[in-house]
Amino acid sequence: MLTSVIIVLREVLEAALLLSILLAMCRVLELRRQWFYGALAAGVLGSIGYGLMLGPISEAADGVGQEILNAALQLALYFFLLVIALLLIMNTHGNRRYLGLLQSMMLLAIACATLREGSEIFIYLMAFAPQQALLSSVLSGALIGAGIGFSIGALIYYVLVELPCQYTLGVVLTLLTLVGGGLCLQAAQQLVQADWLPSAMPLWDTSTLLDENSLFGQLLYALIGYEATPTPAEVIAYLLGVGMMVLLIAFALRRSDMEGQNYEFHPD
Amino acid sequence: MAENLRCKALLYTLALGVLAMPLHALAERPVLTLEIRDHLFHPSELVVPANTKVKLIVYNRDATAEEFESYELNREKVIMGGQKAVIFIGPLAPGEYPFFGEFNPKTAQGKVIAQ
Repeated sequence: MLTSVIIVLREVLEAALLLSILLAMCRVLELRRQWFYGALAAGVLGSIGYGLMLGPISEAADGVGQEILNAALQLALYFFLLVIALLLIMNTHGNRRYLGLLQSMMLLAIACATLREGSEIFIYLMAFAPQQALLSSVLSGALIGAGIGFSIGALIYYVLVELPCQYTLGVVLTLLTLVGGGLCLQAAQQLVQADWLPSAMPLWDTSTLLDENSLFGQLLYALIGYEATPTPAEVIAYLLGVGMMVLLIAFALRRSDMEGQNYEFHPD
Repeated sequence: MAENLRCKALLYTLALGVLAMPLHALAERPVLTLEIRDHLFHPSELVVPANTKVKLIVYNRDATAEEFESYELNREKVIMGGQKAVIFIGPLAPGEYPFFGEFNPKTAQGKVIAQ
């Protein structure tokens, strides 16, 4: 039972973290939230489809189809988060622009995040479906894991919503950048595993300091992509992902500040 | 002028490096196989050459899915029941690297020994 708590908690935690950030943004920007549940449902349906198709997917691309698809999902999610970050900045100073685009990017990000983590839970539960004796204990463990994961997500949501307005944007942009870096690192890891990227010895080993397997290690993995023994490809992907996001965010912030000043000078 | 030449030399070296990469990827890797039966890994200890990237093929002979997972190897892959999975691992420094089946972690355990 403990195994199922941990497996489900790990997957739910990763998805819940992102969902809570995006849902908090919906609330702050007063976007319609019915869409959110639609995207969530699409993600869940997608997970089931992915889980059922995993056999053929795994055999594609000389047996590394699973890695390629996972990496593609992670990079797509990174791209959605990057666009969301830039659109959030454009909507400061009381502006309301490209809200349709922002909404659809959020939908895609939510569906993508749910699919990525949901499929693993679905496959795990399917593995126990034929074993009636174990199933009830696995299911109750899964419920506990999901409960803990969503509680942590809810906590993050309320912290973000209750933050004083002037800090909300900064905190959300920082979180999105860190999660984005983690996604790039995971994508690189998948491509190394598929032998599509060159692999080398890990650059360092911090597993004695903080075990990836521990709860805090898992939390940091979900939040900033913590990896105890990263290879050069993973470190480069992380730095590129974070670097690109920081540069574009800084650029957008400067433009938005300049517009903000203009707005004050010409209040028409 | 000399600086210009040095720049060019650097560029060519980089370009050669990029060109050489796919060739390197095409090089044959040592292949090792592993089986999952009754939620156990056979063999449970796998000796691999150190400092070499190897191609690991894991056959899942059980009817249910399993996830090959190792924090030490940085690997994680779902293998559906009755299927095989290709996982590239290494290069590894000499040492022991535990792995386990995430869906049945109490029984499905093993380690890769790089030497």
